[in-house]
Amino acid sequence: MTRERRGLVLALHLAIIAVLAGLQLVLPPFHHGMVARIMVLAAYAIGYNLLLGYTGLMSLGHAMFFAAGMYGTGLTIHHLGAGVALGFLAGLVAGVVTAAVVGLITLKTVGPAFLIVTMMLAQAFYLATLYFNEVTMGDQGFILAGLHLDLGGHRFALANPAVKYNVGLGLFAICLLGSLWLVSSPVGRIFLALRENEERTRLLGYNTARYRLVAVVVSGLISALAGAAYTLLFSYVGSTFAGILYSIYPLLWTLLGGAGTTLGPLVGTLLMTYVVDVASGITTGYLIVVGAMLVVAVLWAPAGVVGGIRARWARWLP
Amino acid sequence: MTLGPHLLLALLEGTVGGLVLALTALGLSLVFGVMRIVNVAHGEFFMLGAIVAWYVSTTAGSFLVALLVAPLVVGAVAVTADRLVLRRIGYEPESTIVATIGLLYILQQVVLMTYGPYARPVAAPVYFRIDFPWFGYSGYKLIVAGAAGALLVLTWVALSRTTLGLYMRATQQDREMAQAFAVPVDRVYTTAFAVGAGLTAVAGALIVPVQQAHYLMGLDALLMSFVVVILGGLGSLRGTLVAAFVVGLSDGVVSVLFSPTLAKIVATLLVGLVLAVRGRGLFGEEGA
Amino acid sequence: MGAVAALSLLETQALSKRFGGLEAVSAVDFHLGRGEVRALIGPNGAGKTTLVGLISGRLTPTSGRVLFAGRDVTSLRAWERVGLGIVYTFQITSIYRSLAVWDNVALAAQRRHLGAVADWLALDRQAVARDVDAALATVGLADLSDQPAGALAYGHQRLVEVAMALALRPELLILDEPTQGLAAGEIEALCRLVRDIAGAATVLIIEHNMAVVLQLAGRVTVMDKGRIIAEGTPREIEAHPEVQRAYLGR
Repeated sequence: MTRERRGLVLALHLAIIAVLAGLQLVLPPFHHGMVARIMVLAAYAIGYNLLLGYTGLMSLGHAMFFAAGMYGTGLTIHHLGAGVALGFLAGLVAGVVTAAVVGLITLKTVGPAFLIVTMMLAQAFYLATLYFNEVTMGDQGFILAGLHLDLGGHRFALANPAVKYNVGLGLFAICLLGSLWLVSSPVGRIFLALRENEERTRLLGYNTARYRLVAVVVSGLISALAGAAYTLLFSYVGSTFAGILYSIYPLLWTLLGGAGTTLGPLVGTLLMTYVVDVASGITTGYLIVVGAMLVVAVLWAPAGVVGGIRARWARWLP
Repeated sequence: MTLGPHLLLALLEGTVGGLVLALTALGLSLVFGVMRIVNVAHGEFFMLGAIVAWYVSTTAGSFLVALLVAPLVVGAVAVTADRLVLRRIGYEPESTIVATIGLLYILQQVVLMTYGPYARPVAAPVYFRIDFPWFGYSGYKLIVAGAAGALLVLTWVALSRTTLGLYMRATQQDREMAQAFAVPVDRVYTTAFAVGAGLTAVAGALIVPVQQAHYLMGLDALLMSFVVVILGGLGSLRGTLVAAFVVGLSDGVVSVLFSPTLAKIVATLLVGLVLAVRGRGLFGEEGA
Repeated sequence: MGAVAALSLLETQALSKRFGGLEAVSAVDFHLGRGEVRALIGPNGAGKTTLVGLISGRLTPTSGRVLFAGRDVTSLRAWERVGLGIVYTFQITSIYRSLAVWDNVALAAQRRHLGAVADWLALDRQAVARDVDAALATVGLADLSDQPAGALAYGHQRLVEVAMALALRPELLILDEPTQGLAAGEIEALCRLVRDIAGAATVLIIEHNMAVVLQLAGRVTVMDKGRIIAEGTPREIEAHPEVQRAYLGR
């Protein structure tokens, strides 16, 4: 992205947010709910993309962070009777702590080893949510009822579709614009440099270990934010979201949408969530599309949809 | 039962478990050693071996035939995957992991759609009990242990005495040198991948009369294989064997004393931490 | 100039590096005076890149010390040494091919301005931009600044690397075979550039091209098999019997 195109890029991103905002007026109820869910999951993908697309670290353990947000929020509300705001904050803190621990453990790990280590750590986390099932209710999970936001004298029930949609939209917009800002910032430049050539970056005077850690923590934080939001908007907490599938999903969405692009995560999440939904109506083995699309992405579309568009027509896209 | 017999039982279970685990994990280690890739679909080959064995036993009525057919079928699947996907991406380490995850889901879900979600048993081909003074022990399990052991020895012999084995060891040591000496590296890769799949398929087939065949059984096999291979040292076959015994024995103990879930938590954490500490440079030419 | 202790910028004491069975650098005592332009020459495998790697911090020594401006920097990592002014440019061009030329140099320039975490948010972009533009102007790449660095011709990529080094405001600039792969005209331009830089920084240059060495270097250090076998002016070195044996005896 060159410096001249900044205005155009910002306009594009704002337009997309505006379109999403406008869609809620025309979408039928089922799709209304789907898009609300997709926006929260796209925020998760944006968090994942920060690590994969911008810092060059492919993780198979992001469900840890998503679930940390989910359980941090859900457990505080369910067991401690906290309100929505406090619960959300708890989820974020849980995410940061988990990410910091994982980041420190994996400080010197790269490539395939990083993939396996994060997968193992996430698996241990998942098993722990099952093991401590008096607290977490394990696989079955639990429901949070009557969640609401009190703003300016009005009570907004989070179960209300319009509230769900707009809260989801708001969070997604923050994450999208945040990622855009980051990419064009000096720090974003450092992450890109880390991805391309770590040794070179060290020899420019950067403490790359510290930057890596920051990248992991921020990525984890955004993922936890998505997890916390998901719990609040869809009122459910369960081990499934800590499972390996929820680590593979953001990889799939980001890869297919375009790793290293700001809009890729949204595109990928949108595409795959609908594909999986349609497939689930056709067969019990619907996860086969996850497998097939991963193979397709690796073989034929490693740059993803937006990455391909960028390469061919719009080099200025971030 | 007092402590002594308890220990004997644990020892028997551990030995059987260790040998089966060794056979299961050997393929993963071999593939990593020769091809420098991690096959995340490895557990699905195990599962596929079990499912195919179930099909063949049920239709052909002979477990022995099932034992022969399973590795062949699974080997063929492996060869297909190698030719269609892995070779095309040049066995690049990270892409291979992603591609094999894709393969994992494809295999698993195909089985779900055809075989179904239920666990189905197969009757053991022979049924007898070894009667100890304190407990009876399934004779079939001892046969499984024996079969696994025999296959392990056979594999060791094949690797050290045959030309193919020589090619594999050469490719493992130094790929470029091997190519310079006209070793057909591409074919060695495909063969290694197929052999790795076949070995674990036999393990899956052997275990069907003991556990049932179920479409999700690959995940556990994968995890345990990872534990064994990473603790034993990636690419070291001897390390894999030793680790398999240690893990087989201790897993039994921990599972009995505490809970299976806790045992798995400890195992996964251990693997993650060991790899994080020792992971640098373990995966060949991955830079930085 | 002699290696007078008071003017010494860089000093290594009994510096050694062993790789398994091979001793790549063997108890080297190397002195570099402030303001010098020193050439480091020697046959392939002599240990030049290893020595320079030890000085820049890319490698940790098996034994011995590295002192910079009188301070023991042996335990400092590479990224910390850059902060002190030791800048290394790679033998094989190592720029960020997918980033624009401007961004490549900006990465180097912004480093000096990023101290505390707060700087990340309130970075003085104007100051960084000035540094980048100045560095690009010095090497003559100002009009290519928006191009992706990987699209440039090899000679220009080399210049990007030099611009990055300049933007770091080096005290000691280490150039590892800078003229390799360059055409005659480009070599000329690079030599002029180095002479300009030598005004503000001490330069240590590994070179195989003897013509460049004769042009640029005030003094020459010769290495062979991990040791320094000779040191002197370019003329003295040319005539040195040890040097001749090391080069011709291969």
